Amino acid sequence: MRIVVCIKQVPDPEGPRDAYFINTANATVEPRGIPPVLSLFDENALEAALRIRDQIPQGSVSVLSIGKRIPNAVMLKALAAGADSLVKVEDESLDASGLDSYITAQVLAAALSKLGFDLIVVGRQAADWNDGQVGIGIARLLDLPSVTLVRSVHLSGHDMEIERVLPQGYEIVRTALPALIMVGGEAGELRYPSMIQRREAKNKPITTWNLIDIGLTTLPAKRVIRQRLFAPELKDRACRMVDGASLAEAGRNLAERLHSDRVV
Amino acid sequence: MSMHDAKPCILVAVELQSGDLHPLALEALQAGSQVAQGINGRMSAAVMGNGTGMAVKRLQGFGLEHVYVVDDPLLDGYQSEHYSAALTAICQSAAPVYILMPNTLTGVDLAPRLAWELDAGLVTDCVAVQNAEDGPVFVKPVYSGNVMAVYRAATCPFLVTLRPRAFAPMQPQNAKTTTIVPVTCTFNPNPRVAQVQHLDAEVQGIRLETAERIVAGGRGMGGSEGFGQLRALADVLGAAIGASRPPCDLGWVAPTAQVGQTGEIVAPGLYIAVGISGSTQHLAGMSGAKTIVAINADPQASIFRVADYGVVGKYEEVIPTFTETLKDMLTEEA
Ligand SMILES: Cc1cc2nc3c(=O)[nH]c(=O)nc-3n(C[C@H](O)[C@H](O)[C@H](O)COP(=O)(O)OP(=O)(O)OC[C@H]3O[C@@H](n4cnc5c(N)ncnc54)[C@H](O)[C@@H]3O)c2cc1C
Ligand SMILES: Nc1ncnc2c1ncn2[C@@H]1O[C@H](COP(=O)(O)O)[C@@H](O)[C@H]1O
Repeated sequence: MRIVVCIKQVPDPEGPRDAYFINTANATVEPRGIPPVLSLFDENALEAALRIRDQIPQGSVSVLSIGKRIPNAVMLKALAAGADSLVKVEDESLDASGLDSYITAQVLAAALSKLGFDLIVVGRQAADWNDGQVGIGIARLLDLPSVTLVRSVHLSGHDMEIERVLPQGYEIVRTALPALIMVGGEAGELRYPSMIQRREAKNKPITTWNLIDIGLTTLPAKRVIRQRLFAPELKDRACRMVDGASLAEAGRNLAERLHSDRVV
Repeated sequence: MSMHDAKPCILVAVELQSGDLHPLALEALQAGSQVAQGINGRMSAAVMGNGTGMAVKRLQGFGLEHVYVVDDPLLDGYQSEHYSAALTAICQSAAPVYILMPNTLTGVDLAPRLAWELDAGLVTDCVAVQNAEDGPVFVKPVYSGNVMAVYRAATCPFLVTLRPRAFAPMQPQNAKTTTIVPVTCTFNPNPRVAQVQHLDAEVQGIRLETAERIVAGGRGMGGSEGFGQLRALADVLGAAIGASRPPCDLGWVAPTAQVGQTGEIVAPGLYIAVGISGSTQHLAGMSGAKTIVAINADPQASIFRVADYGVVGKYEEVIPTFTETLKDMLTEEA
C-alpha cells in the first residue's frame, strides 16, 4: 500500500508578531528571524499516515511537497519520524505570489498522478494562509472519495473505516481505496524520532522534479485575487493586576475584586 | 437568473441546529446583506435538511428575496456528498454571484466541495466585508492572525466562509415576505463515503459554544490533574471548561474543549484563562469575551495584554483560594 502525505513548509506560525513582514509590492509575507517548519496539521497528517502503515505488513509513506525552494533540512524531520522518501516539485513559479489553492491542487494532483498512490493524506489547512481547500481540490481532480476532519483510520482489506469529527461528537464512515483524507490536530502529535532514525533520515531517497517533469507546462489562472495585505490593529485591554502578600491571598483578592466589580 | 429579476443574487447557505436555524446563520445573513448593499443585489437563503419548516419560517423576517429549500430524509445530518449535491442544485436555480456560509465544521467541509463543483474561487474564514468600487472584498486573518489579507473574486460565482462571531447577528425586519422555492435534487443512492455509526460526544457539564462563563486551561496546567482544579472552579461559577490546543492534543481534556482559530470561537461574558500564554490562534477564539481574567506564571505572557484582570503566579497556589472565596461569596448570595 502506497501512502503519500502532502506537506507544506511554512514560516514558524508561532513566531512573534513582527516576524511576519508584509511585502506590499506583491502581497506576500516575508518571515524575519523565524525558521521554516513543517506546517502544523501536516505533521498530524504524517502521524495519521504512519499509524495506518503500522497496521499493515507492507506499506510505504512518501512525502510530497511543492514550492519555489524546499530546504531538505526542514523535511528531514518527516523522514526521521518515519516517512520512507521525499518528493519535491520545485519551480520558480511556485511562489506564494503566484499560487492560490486552485493552482496548488493542480500541481499536487499532477505530481501525485506521476507518483502513484493508494491513499493521500493532507492537512486540514496550511498554517500560513489557512485556506483549507487543497485536499478537496486534489480529490476532485483525481476523482477520489475524500473525508475531512479525520481522527483515526482503521484498514479492513481495501476499505477504510474512518472516525471523523462532528460538531457534537464523532461519526464512523466507510470508504474504499484509493481515497484522500484530511487531517487536523485530533489525529495526534507526530511521533518523536530516535537518534538512529535521525541519522538514517539523511540516507533516505529524495527526488526533485520540476513542472515539466510532472507534465505541467502552463499553470491555470487564479480563482482568487489577493489584493493587498495589512497589519491588524491591536486592541489591547487595560489589565488590572491583582496581587497579595501571597499567591493564596492574590486568589482571594481576585475573587473579591471580580465580585465588587460585578463581574460575578 | 430569471428575466424579470435583474438584481444579482447573494446566496447565504444556512445550517440547521436541532431543526431550527443555527445561530450563526444570522451572522452570515448580516455579512450577506453587506455584500448585497455594495452591489445592489438581493439576498436569498439556501436551507437543506430533513424537516426544514421551522428554519424556513424564521427566515421570513429578513427581507430575503427567496428561500431555496431542499428537504429530504437523506439530509438528516450532514453528509458531504448529499449536501454538496443539494447546494449545487440550489445554485443552479438561484444563479448566485456570491455564496456565503459560516466557517463551522460543516462549512469547512461543504464550502470547498461546492467551490470545486462550481469551478468557483473560495476565501475561507473571513472576518469582514468591505465594499470597494469594483465589488466587495473579503478580509481574512492569515499568518496566525499577524497579517490581514484582502481578497477579491476572480470567478462568478464566488464563495466566502465567515468566521463565527465576526459579524453581528442580523436583526429581523418587517420587510416584505419571502418566496419559498422548493428545489428538487437527485441524490446518489450509493455515496462513496457512507456513514456506519454516529457517536455523540460525552459532553461533561455545560456546553462551550453557548456558555456565559468559561474556565479555560492551557499547557501550563501540566496535566489532566490540573484540569480537576479548573472543574471545581467551573462548578462554582456554573462555567464550561475550555482549553488551548496543547491540552486537547495531549489528551488532558476532550478535543471539543479547544478554543481558538481551529477550535470553538466563543464570546462569553466571562473567560478565565489559566496557564494559557495567549497565542494569536487562541485569542482568535476568545477575544470577544466581555471580561477576560488571566492567571499565568509569566508576567510577560501575551494573555495579559488582552485581559481585564490578571494575577501573576502559579495557578496551583492561586486557584484554590480563588475558588474557595468565590464559593463562599456566591453561596452567601444564593
Ligand atoms: C494553524 C494553527 C492553528 C492553531 N489553532 C489553535 C487553536 O484553535 N487554539 C489554540 O489554543 N491554539 C491553536 N494553535 C496553537 C497555538 O499557536 C499555541 O501553540 C497554543 O495556543 C499555545 O497553548 P498554551 O498557551 O496553552 O501553551 P504555551 O504557549 O506553552 O503557554 C503555557 C503558559 O502557561 C504558563 N504556565 C506554565 N506553568 C504555569 C503554572 N504553574 N501556573 C500558571 N501558568 C503557568 C506559561 O507561563 C505559559 O504562558 C494553532 C496553531 C496553528 C499553527
Ligand atoms: N505547497 C504545498 N506542498 C505540499 N502540500 C501542500 C502544499 N500546499 C498545501 N498542501 C497540502 O494541502 C493542505 C491544505 O492546504 P491549504 O488548502 O492551502 O490550506 C496542507 O495541509 C497540505 O497537506
